[in-house]
Amino acid sequence: MSTLHPSIEHADHVDHGGHGHGHHELSFIQKYVFSTDHKVIGLQFLFTTLIMLMVGGALALGVRWQLARPWEYMPIFGDLTFASDGGQISPEAYTMLFTMHATVMIFLVIIPILAGAFGNFLIPLQIGADDMAFPVLNMLSYWFMWPAIACFACALGLAPNWLNETFLQLGMEKLVVRGGLIAGAANGWTSYPLLSALEQASPSSGAAQTWWLIAVTFVGVSSMMGSVNYMTTIINMRAPGMTLFRMPLTIWSMFITAILQAFALPVLTAAGFMLVADRMLGFCFFIPSGVVVNNAAPTVGGGQPLLWQHLFWFYSHPAVYIMLLPAMGMVSDMLACMCRKPVFGYKPMVYSMAAIAGLGFIVWGHHMFTSGMNPALGMTFMVATIMIALPSAIKVFNWIGTIWGGRVQFNTVMLNCVAFVSLFIVGGLSGIFMAAVPVDIYIHDTYFIVAHFHYVLFGATLFGVFGAIQFWFPKMWGRMMNETVGKIHFVLTFIGFNCTFFPMHLLGIAGMPRRYADPYHFPYLEHLLPLNQFMTGAAILMGFAQFLLLGNFVLSIFFGPKCGRNPWNANGLEWSAPSPPGHGNFDVPPVVYHGPYEYSSPVSGDKDFLMQTEYVPLAQRKVHTGH
Amino acid sequence: MMFRHSSNHRSVTTAPWQLVCGLALGIASGLAGCGTGPKAEFSYREATQKLIPVARKAIKDTLEDGFGTPHNLVAWERFPVAYGGAKASVVAAAEGVQPASKTISVSVEGDVSKLASGASVLWLTGTRAGEKAAADTVDTYDTKTKTLTWSGSAEPAPGVGDVLIVGFGHALQKGRAVYMKNCMHCHGVSGDGNGSTAQFLNPRPRDYRLGVFKFTSTLSAEKVSRDDLHRVVKYGIPGTYMPSFLLLGEEETKSVVEYVRWLAMRGEFEKRTDDDLGDFTEDSIVDTVKKSKTAFDAAKVAYDATLKAGDKDAVKPDAPIKLTDARKIATEAFAKFQASDLDQAVEDTASFLAEAWTRADDEASRIAPTVPRVADDAASRERGRLLYMSDKTKCYTCHGLLGKGNGAATEDFWKKPGTEELYPRRGLHDAWGNPLQPRNLTLGQYRGGRRPVDVFRRLYAGIKGTPMPGFGKTALKDEEIWDIVNFVMSLQYQSPQPAKTNAGGHVVATDMPEAK
Amino acid sequence: MGKLWSLFFVFSAVIAVALCWFAPDWNWWFPGDGKAHSTLGGKIDDLFHLILIIVAVTFIGTQAALGYVLWRGATIKPEEKALFSHGSHSLEVIWTIVPSAVLLFIALYQLDVWAQFRIKGAIRDSHGKMVRPEPVAELTARQFEWRIRYPAKGKPLQPQPQPDDIYSVNELHIPSGRPVEVTLRTDDVQHAIFIPELRIKQDAVASLKIPVWFDALENRDYEMLCAELCGWGHYKMKAKVVARSDADFDAWKEQASAEQFDDGFRKPAEAK
Repeated sequence: MSTLHPSIEHADHVDHGGHGHGHHELSFIQKYVFSTDHKVIGLQFLFTTLIMLMVGGALALGVRWQLARPWEYMPIFGDLTFASDGGQISPEAYTMLFTMHATVMIFLVIIPILAGAFGNFLIPLQIGADDMAFPVLNMLSYWFMWPAIACFACALGLAPNWLNETFLQLGMEKLVVRGGLIAGAANGWTSYPLLSALEQASPSSGAAQTWWLIAVTFVGVSSMMGSVNYMTTIINMRAPGMTLFRMPLTIWSMFITAILQAFALPVLTAAGFMLVADRMLGFCFFIPSGVVVNNAAPTVGGGQPLLWQHLFWFYSHPAVYIMLLPAMGMVSDMLACMCRKPVFGYKPMVYSMAAIAGLGFIVWGHHMFTSGMNPALGMTFMVATIMIALPSAIKVFNWIGTIWGGRVQFNTVMLNCVAFVSLFIVGGLSGIFMAAVPVDIYIHDTYFIVAHFHYVLFGATLFGVFGAIQFWFPKMWGRMMNETVGKIHFVLTFIGFNCTFFPMHLLGIAGMPRRYADPYHFPYLEHLLPLNQFMTGAAILMGFAQFLLLGNFVLSIFFGPKCGRNPWNANGLEWSAPSPPGHGNFDVPPVVYHGPYEYSSPVSGDKDFLMQTEYVPLAQRKVHTGH
Repeated sequence: MMFRHSSNHRSVTTAPWQLVCGLALGIASGLAGCGTGPKAEFSYREATQKLIPVARKAIKDTLEDGFGTPHNLVAWERFPVAYGGAKASVVAAAEGVQPASKTISVSVEGDVSKLASGASVLWLTGTRAGEKAAADTVDTYDTKTKTLTWSGSAEPAPGVGDVLIVGFGHALQKGRAVYMKNCMHCHGVSGDGNGSTAQFLNPRPRDYRLGVFKFTSTLSAEKVSRDDLHRVVKYGIPGTYMPSFLLLGEEETKSVVEYVRWLAMRGEFEKRTDDDLGDFTEDSIVDTVKKSKTAFDAAKVAYDATLKAGDKDAVKPDAPIKLTDARKIATEAFAKFQASDLDQAVEDTASFLAEAWTRADDEASRIAPTVPRVADDAASRERGRLLYMSDKTKCYTCHGLLGKGNGAATEDFWKKPGTEELYPRRGLHDAWGNPLQPRNLTLGQYRGGRRPVDVFRRLYAGIKGTPMPGFGKTALKDEEIWDIVNFVMSLQYQSPQPAKTNAGGHVVATDMPEAK
Repeated sequence: MGKLWSLFFVFSAVIAVALCWFAPDWNWWFPGDGKAHSTLGGKIDDLFHLILIIVAVTFIGTQAALGYVLWRGATIKPEEKALFSHGSHSLEVIWTIVPSAVLLFIALYQLDVWAQFRIKGAIRDSHGKMVRPEPVAELTARQFEWRIRYPAKGKPLQPQPQPDDIYSVNELHIPSGRPVEVTLRTDDVQHAIFIPELRIKQDAVASLKIPVWFDALENRDYEMLCAELCGWGHYKMKAKVVARSDADFDAWKEQASAEQFDDGFRKPAEAK
């Protein structure tokens, strides 16, 4: 057996070019641009999403600036667009800023960085496959992101003139964004009709909104290709011995996410097409008759705006878990490794993820408690929503259980993972307030909600991602990231994050509504200005801290200390492959003998880890486990 | 922590936090590398931009001299704008501690406890009177001793008994602050109705620069009164994007009304001065050259013909003017005009505007019905209907036979005023050149207000800047106007499908069950 | 170093708790005087505080546990191996059953308040009696203001406009001290009324007329705003609720009616 398992000591001597299969010369473009290799695609996703993270962050700083200094000069953006107004932005520019911030962060950062970047990179490596089941589909799923990004740019009002001219000549006036940045999509990332359905309803409801919908469709197609691929790969391509319950939790989470996405996404895509049809073809799915906006002709047809909310949230609530579950899985992996201890309650972890996914489909109505849907439904949705806190709670307890008794390595990975758990607790608990319908009546659409979802999506998911980048970076590049810079980045981001978002709970309780360009002309909110200024300062600090991450990431690719196959002494299959793995991933086809979390096992002798590929003779096992 | 229903001592402890916040923001601003940003600018009319450079410069200088820039307003006293400030008179004058500063004791009428440093001082009488308002600014004001210091020239020294206004222009500044926060995005920095949002709105936001406002209580030849503007700001204009600013606060509303009036005066001042300088445009120079060329060509043909005929005495026509020469001539002509007549023209315009805007607030300019509203009964409405359909009023040509705002006139092409050119679109247009829909009277939506007196005034004086004419005094007696008012206001309730309308608007809700 | 990090996380949790503890004193809590001014709002506040207790206990418990396990993980000797445990079945059962019982309690405990707010059609007034709210006004939201229609004094509110109806803009007048019904509708896109001090929020949806039931306990003005993104001027929809005693409410109606039907005619003596 020993030939099958090159030991760690020998790992560095194995030339990763020497593996046996499918090795033929590829051109640069095939290798690094239109590559079908899951690792390259994963890294392409990672680079793209990191850039988009900076874009989304810049938009957020614009929002924060306005809240700290309403109607004063806004740096950069004010100069660019509103110089003759004294650099003061207009209200529709503000609405555009927060809309595009959410759009970019959700559709171009969080969903693709989890499923696209880490899903792609990790799934074949962790299950012992040489690539995805459908490599070309995989490549397409990345390249469909670019039309999406281009369409979002048009939705921002950044369509180049030649494009607008072309559409004019083709007679497609409805795709020409008139007014540039001021007319950028600004109906919230939720894009509720009628605001988003009637092009006369606001400056942003013109062509920009159509572009926005087209872009979301592209993102959807990309995600859908990914999720089909992930499901097939995980079901069919596991290495020998990799039973379902020997899969790392990362894989479980990716698997469940893929299922969620496959069932929820078509609804959004359909809804998006319906809205586009409403806008461009005169359908009236969401438009009731006789509505006059901006003195245009009254609308015809007998649609119902609430339908959009149902369809949208039927996707977008599961989407919240799509944005969270993979991070939960990855954090479980990282916590076990950094605490040198098996995950506490592996199966309950799996079941609770499945429960979250299942319940996730029947709670969408909690976004609509005040929307005017049948009030009796509110009761059902409330009970379901409150109950979804249960699996989340189980996971938190299990994470704490995992750390308990561990030999904790306080490195950047661990710190980010602990931040994940700590901040997810806040995000989860604040969720209970809004799950309770009567309380939600008050806090709905206030900053309490904003605080909640930033704690979940940024506090939890992004901190998980920061940890994951640091953790799997050696596998990506064969080098380590800088630990000191990583810690500084962590501390600045953690402090900046909490100072920015925790006070938002208080703003929400104080009744400050979201999406207000100027809350302070309501007397009861005037006194919140200093607090908002403090938060803006913290947000700017946090924003600039991300350059540390970016710099650390890019510089470490070239100058980081080199490392071997398994720098963390981790158990997963990916650590038995070379760093970085060559085409086809494994030099030795892996065979799996254990679950992924056999850290500090008595059978592993002096080592405190036991790789999944490492065979332990029966006798040795009996001695130590007493079976 | 949860049971601490907030106690009575609120908002005391925010002060230290403000310090922390200010600090954080200061660091942040430093990080972002931001300064104060670009300065807001007043735009100029297209007509101004078309003038020859010297004329353009003269107009811009005059405007800047008289009105300043958005960040440095100039209060031109002769315009009837309540610039604000408190009247004071000098009790004693002394030299200041600093060189070139002055200290005077004054007695002030009104509240100046909030008098900030930098407030301007305007001298109404005495040796310093007649100087520009911006010349003196308050450095300090001691409320106890009522002592005022200012820097600036110490000569001529003020004498005891001189009357001055302190804080002159602060109402205008306040108005600007309110305007830049609430109005600018639609109405534009200069009140040209061309803010960043304006292009998306229908109807377009008002361009103040014609000095014309639609919904007024004044006679048709008069400007808008303060009360009218105040009302519009307070209650909005239903059916348009002008919302109600009911809760803006009385002082804010008043000051923004003054600012809007001031912007309107500035705009109209520019327009009238443009009109005075109509000969000095680039276009007219080109036109002159062209005409001269045509004349020359014609003369040349005649000359050639006469030469051919053998007439040796024929006078050779003068060469046509070259463009550069024409420009030079125009520039010289303007220099002459500037030296002799421009000041007078500016003076005339200013006094015309000052009088017109002063008159607008006179009781005599306000339309008041001479008889109470005629009883709103079937007979009155029927008389109103007949008048509506009569050739005396021709209401139906625009508002339609059923009052739906779809009369025959909305299907015609109309000429641009003062020209033979047609508008490219069918239907009526207003003085600003925007397409205009006659009101659908069946909606119960009254843009100028729903009081009977409002509708009466619309009929009496028309709607300014639109084809809606006034019938008061001449065509109709007040009683007849009331009949039409009664008829028009009943239309909302006679609709064949009354269920389809409501007061605030026109959402059809009948096909949905009531959500109970 | 590990201990320091454990303290770092504990410390941030302590600051969070402290911030919430002092927030009411610093006026970063419920608006106005901090109390709900409607009967239902009081119930909502009670629920909020109940959840806050449960959540606070959970928060402190979990963060303390997190801090403890981190501290323990930091103090483990270098030669020691970590505890080899795959979990505990009984612990899993306990921390499944206990939270689910608590959560179920929270869920069921809420139902009645919600039923009163939106389902039953009758709400409890300040004396605890179930009352059917009186329809007082039709509130029509439009970009970007509120237009309100009331029946004339002494008349019931009709679904359709009547010639003697009274109108106001951005000022919702209601009688105080008893439950009222306001019919909510919109002229254009979606809006939502939000009256923070009464804890009321409800979307206005094109094609729907949605009744909102509430009472205002004091004779005073309450701020009202829009809570559903309705376009660029979303923040402009500043309005107020004017709650007055029945007599004052009727007096206002008379005065508003007189103003609204003013024909501008003044007898010469009066005009002066």
